[in-house]
Amino acid sequence: MNENPADLAPELCVLLAAVLGLLAGMFLPRAGQWRVAAVCAAGLAAALAVALVAATRPGLMAFDAFTVDPVTHVTRIAVFGTTLPVVVLAAGRMRGHPRESEFSVLILLAALGTVLLGASSDLLVLVAAYLLASIPAYALAGFGKDGPGTEAALKYYLMGAFLGVLMLAGVTLLYGVGRGTSYAALRDGLGAAPGAAVAVGTVALLAGLLFKAGAVPGHYWVPDVAEGAPPVVAAFVTTVPKIGAFAALFRIGAEVLPPGAFAWAPLVALVAAVTMTLGNLAAFAQDNVRRLLAYSTVGQAGYLLVPVAMAGRAALAEPALLYYVAAYAVTNLGAFAVVVAVGRDDLAGYTGLLRASPALGTSLVVCLLGLVGTPPTAVFVGKLLMFGAALEGHYAWLAALAAANSVASVFYYLRWIVPAFGGPAAPLRPARSALVVAVALAAVSLALGIGSGLVLAT
Amino acid sequence: MSVLAWALPALPLLAGALLLLSGRRADRAAPAVGTGVATVLLGLAVAAAVTRPAVRFRLFPGWDAGLAVDGLSAVLVVTVAAVALAVLVHAAGEFAPDEARARFFGLMLVFTGAMLVTVTAADLAVLLMGWEVMGAMSYALIGFWWADPERVRSADVAFLTTRAGDLGLYIAAGCAAAGAHSLGLADLAGTAGPWRGLIAAGVVVAALGKSAQLPFSFWLSRAMSGPSPVSALLHSATMVAAGAYLLLRLQPLLAATGWAGSLVAWAGALTALLLGVVALAQRDLKQLLAASTCAQLGFMVLGAGVGAVAGGTAHLVAHAAVKSLLFLCAGAWLATLGTQDLGGLRGAGRRDRAVGVPFAAGALALAGIPPLSLWVTKDTVLAAAGEESLALYAVGLAAAVLSAAYSAKALIAVWRRGGGARGRAGRLAVVPLPVLAVAACTLGILGLPAVAGPWRQVLGVPDEPGPGAAGLAVSGVLAVATVLAAVALARRGTFTVPDRVPDGLPDRRAGRTAGWALGWLRLEPMAGAVLVGPTLALARALARFDDRVVDGGVRAAAQAGRALSALTTRRAEIRLDGAVTAVGRAARGLAALARRPQTGQVHAYYAQAAVLLAALVVVAVLAGGR
Repeated sequence: MNENPADLAPELCVLLAAVLGLLAGMFLPRAGQWRVAAVCAAGLAAALAVALVAATRPGLMAFDAFTVDPVTHVTRIAVFGTTLPVVVLAAGRMRGHPRESEFSVLILLAALGTVLLGASSDLLVLVAAYLLASIPAYALAGFGKDGPGTEAALKYYLMGAFLGVLMLAGVTLLYGVGRGTSYAALRDGLGAAPGAAVAVGTVALLAGLLFKAGAVPGHYWVPDVAEGAPPVVAAFVTTVPKIGAFAALFRIGAEVLPPGAFAWAPLVALVAAVTMTLGNLAAFAQDNVRRLLAYSTVGQAGYLLVPVAMAGRAALAEPALLYYVAAYAVTNLGAFAVVVAVGRDDLAGYTGLLRASPALGTSLVVCLLGLVGTPPTAVFVGKLLMFGAALEGHYAWLAALAAANSVASVFYYLRWIVPAFGGPAAPLRPARSALVVAVALAAVSLALGIGSGLVLAT
Repeated sequence: MSVLAWALPALPLLAGALLLLSGRRADRAAPAVGTGVATVLLGLAVAAAVTRPAVRFRLFPGWDAGLAVDGLSAVLVVTVAAVALAVLVHAAGEFAPDEARARFFGLMLVFTGAMLVTVTAADLAVLLMGWEVMGAMSYALIGFWWADPERVRSADVAFLTTRAGDLGLYIAAGCAAAGAHSLGLADLAGTAGPWRGLIAAGVVVAALGKSAQLPFSFWLSRAMSGPSPVSALLHSATMVAAGAYLLLRLQPLLAATGWAGSLVAWAGALTALLLGVVALAQRDLKQLLAASTCAQLGFMVLGAGVGAVAGGTAHLVAHAAVKSLLFLCAGAWLATLGTQDLGGLRGAGRRDRAVGVPFAAGALALAGIPPLSLWVTKDTVLAAAGEESLALYAVGLAAAVLSAAYSAKALIAVWRRGGGARGRAGRLAVVPLPVLAVAACTLGILGLPAVAGPWRQVLGVPDEPGPGAAGLAVSGVLAVATVLAAVALARRGTFTVPDRVPDGLPDRRAGRTAGWALGWLRLEPMAGAVLVGPTLALARALARFDDRVVDGGVRAAAQAGRALSALTTRRAEIRLDGAVTAVGRAARGLAALARRPQTGQVHAYYAQAAVLLAALVVVAVLAGGR
């Protein structure tokens, strides 16, 4: 058994930074609390660097509970790479907040849980990662201590608790019929298990992961939290946890369920179809940009479930999922960063944005067109791979539905983009750090799209 | 060695380009730069003539190109450089300081450089480059005073005419590439079959155009619109000389075809005769000299046609000296007296001897008076023509008599007593005149037996005959007799130009023939009627065709498209639009429905999630292990 802690060095970096930050936060004066954010950012940067180095090494299994393979590498890089801008965003907003240090620490812990979610290869570790990823996020959602924030936190927590319990029940059931909790053991054990028990257990297990992914039926919290929680938190919880959740979902389909034990592809395809359609339709009439983005993330979750459904059926499924999820995280976070920078939640507040602040307006247009899937942005490449995976897995109807949904989604994205080009410009004082983050993320989204050949080759 | 072959054309080309690029800032320095470059160039030319450099390179993959100075080229480069130096020195003295001197000297240098490229080119491609640049520079120089629309029109006519002839050279190059698989000038004569005829035809057309032979002669009359130094250079050692050079250089090709030689010979002889008549009829000194240029080039072309390469080349060199001298004198008078009318110039030579004496020397040489240069060189050509055909010799002799007559006319006009206008040419402007006059008088030694032998050796044609004693005597006596007769007639007042000709009224004594000759045989109107008119008519007809048929078709297509679109708007669009609206409405309805589950109440969320998960379980169980 491999018990080398160095194999989990990126996670340990983040954990160390979180602990240091927590300890430092206790002793630092209020005016010096920004050092905590700096420590956390440094920890994330170090973790990112170590993860990039680790990505060049062959895959292995650590502590019999974590798989270190391409899925884990991309999860690490995407999670740490998107959490870093969130910490930068938050550092600007939370400056001088009474609990400034705790904010960064909570974000780091949630990110750590997310990575463990994607890397775990044991159902018990999966549940622990679920809790680690969720509980800091609940606290973050209510961080503002205001009415909408508290309501959002409570709804988030209640949904998470309910679906988490179902997930635990599912794990218990699968443990019972599969005689083990590690993925490898389950793959051997579930083949001979009664079909109905596997079906009930798997669906219950999915309930928790779909909650984290923000897909039907675990999507109810997404619009409410996105609207009620502080904007930075909304940006974080609608973006980062999904990365780990989709990685975990992919592992369940590819590594846990033996062929013939469970109707994985049809079931997940059904969930994907419902999720993308519901998300896109519900986004149509939204006038609140955070709600609109929330439903858009639900729609994107639907697209992301397509390669998950193709797990084990199509060779393109894994690159499609990994590329799409990374591209989506960068682009979605970029759009949220624009919202944070502008500081307005109503669509009318974005009229004439391109004239008021060309850099911010361009970033918004790039990110939204990216979410539509316009070349040459990164999401376009991800979507292309996703269609390819669906066709390779003989799910042409799903590809067609995804294409129809993409066309429909243009409607509500354009409702946001078009006013930004015209109209009188309202005076605007964007927060500097948020502006920089938004422009940087838009640029990365473009670079990932243009350089997709290079990235996919490595 | 190859450096010299590059430097010879590169020096004037680069210096000229530099002057042109620097614009009016360089106006002050331009005369000094121009004459300095020309001086160095003459040194380079002499060095090249002695060392005979050659360079070969690949212009296009698979096609050898080169610059080489052989015997004929050596003679030409020295002539070109010497005349260019003389002309530029004169121009430096004469050109007013407020003129665009940088542009003038720059263009002149490029013009000279292009001529050097032409005469040193070893293949048709490089030759064409020099040929074309020279044509373009002649355009820019003739239209130098571009503010005057008439001068620009003259430049247009000159350029278009020579350009039309140049097309022949392109045809020749194309046929050489196709037939000989080589563009080398030396390989052209050996081309097989019909290609050789086509190459020769193209070369002949291009050369006749450049040399202003019939029927292209009229452009040279137009070329008089440029400054006098331009005429001096263009009429002697460059441009027109290029055509003669090409024919002399490709004489083996002409001889090989069988027909091209006699065609060229007759074209040259007839040009010498008819343009001699034209020169005799002119009342304007520069027009007279221009027509005489055509006529004298006729002798060179005749020489190329009958295989008298040594004689033709000698005539070219001697004529270059004579004609540049005469034009510089005419330019000097134009600058000081403000006229080039033969009547207006009465007595000009008598009053300003610094110009008048060299002019007299040049005119007597042009007349073919023994022992001056053109007498000998012309007779070398005529002797070869006489061996070919007696008719050619007779026409050539008649042309020689005519050249004596028109030279005498110009000479008498400027040396006749009377006339009042005074003026003295600038000191620098007259410096080159005696030098050129000496050359004009003495270059006849090229025909003396002691010099003629080495001369033919240099040109690579050792077996060509020299002038016969009888021929020399005949033409010398005729020339002297003609000049004396002209002087006698002038004493009686019948061979002079009246001081003032009433504008627009043709001389009554002249009659129809003289009017015809005065107007350069009406060649330009004829070209207009035969070529320009039909071309323009064809263009107009094609434009109408384009407007009515091509454009009409496009417009009809557009109208049909509009009609079709109107139809679809009425019939199909409404239904289609309705369908789109219905889809939109349905989508909005579905969107409203999609927001319905989001009640905001957690118990409702719980219930919905539970129901959905239960449904998923049912689906999973029913679907089984697929």
